Amino acid sequence: MAHSDRYAMLLSSLPYHGPLFGAKQTPLSRIRLNQRLALLDPVEADCLRHARRLLEWAQQEPDRTDAQAVVRAKQVIDGITNPFIRDLVTWRLEMRTLVAALRRRHRGESAPRDRRWGFGRWVGRIMQHWNEPAFGLERAIPWLPEAERLLRRGATVDLERLLLGAVWNHLESCSDGHYLDFEAVVIYVLRWDMIARWTTYDGAEAARRFDELVEQAMAGVEKSLRPSAAAPRPERT
Amino acid sequence: MNELVVALGWAGLFSPMALGAIGSVIGCSVAGQAAIGAMVDTDSGYGRYIGVSVMPSSQVIYGIVIMFSLQRDVTPVTAPALFGIGLLSGLALLFSAMRQGQACASAIHASKTKPEIFGLSLAPAAIVEGFAVFAFVFALVLAGGIPG
Repeated sequence: MAHSDRYAMLLSSLPYHGPLFGAKQTPLSRIRLNQRLALLDPVEADCLRHARRLLEWAQQEPDRTDAQAVVRAKQVIDGITNPFIRDLVTWRLEMRTLVAALRRRHRGESAPRDRRWGFGRWVGRIMQHWNEPAFGLERAIPWLPEAERLLRRGATVDLERLLLGAVWNHLESCSDGHYLDFEAVVIYVLRWDMIARWTTYDGAEAARRFDELVEQAMAGVEKSLRPSAAAPRPERT
Repeated sequence: MNELVVALGWAGLFSPMALGAIGSVIGCSVAGQAAIGAMVDTDSGYGRYIGVSVMPSSQVIYGIVIMFSLQRDVTPVTAPALFGIGLLSGLALLFSAMRQGQACASAIHASKTKPEIFGLSLAPAAIVEGFAVFAFVFALVLAGGIPG
């Protein structure tokens, strides 16, 4: 039996996700998705779990340095046995490296001196062409000039849409020829993750979180001002 | 040498039936799995999914009919024709059933999301069936020309 037919049942049990930006909620809940993914072969399920651990922002450790994150990513990717997933994860991490470079430069940083700040094939080229708007990669990466322009304008929502759209389109092109196989499952799950991320963006929640952060920061400032306020005022003469 | 030729003749005689059955097993299992998956995700239309998933079973029926049409004394004179027609028609039935199973699985998968395309989504599977019918009919025509 052809290997590509193994996941006919699993894929048919997954509801259609529709377009990314039109989605109001994920096509099925995380619990149900995990229940359905229990049908995967254990080795392949492991590969998918490793990939999601690297790609999902919620699973990243914020305290880790860039160099540590790159080392960890290389370790995890070396452990992924499925070449399709390995390529997909590598592509996503290279994309994040490009975006990280754009953001660093936007903050006014100069070109990194060693190569441990980023992941993948573009690191050296980015360092060499640091002062070019799209690092000289306009032809290889068509969305990069637009991303640079949006970042410069401060259009963060549009930038996020552009980046998510680029990932979505890449997954679309990778899905060619994969209909009833493990690769189709991987693409579905990564798309589910993207929809989950997009649909949980909430303007009101973001404003509340912003206020919370401001309050935290101001509390620190007040605390540092308090001793001077408590100190006896010099008498006026 | 004659024994080998006769043995090949017997193999050819049984090939359409055996290869057709193998193809139907694979095709029906793939489409059947897709039908079960679709039933997990939907609340209606179960009969439709199961109906589509058994489409690749026709190949084994064609194989049985070809086998009976080829059935005659297997001699060094008839064996080469039995082998050629039987084996090649069997292979055609095998591959058509396998591919039809995949086409049916895709049809089930697509029509689950958009029920209005159910009929149209079956067109690829029907076209594959048409090729199996070609192999079947012309095997019968050629079987009529074998002496004995």
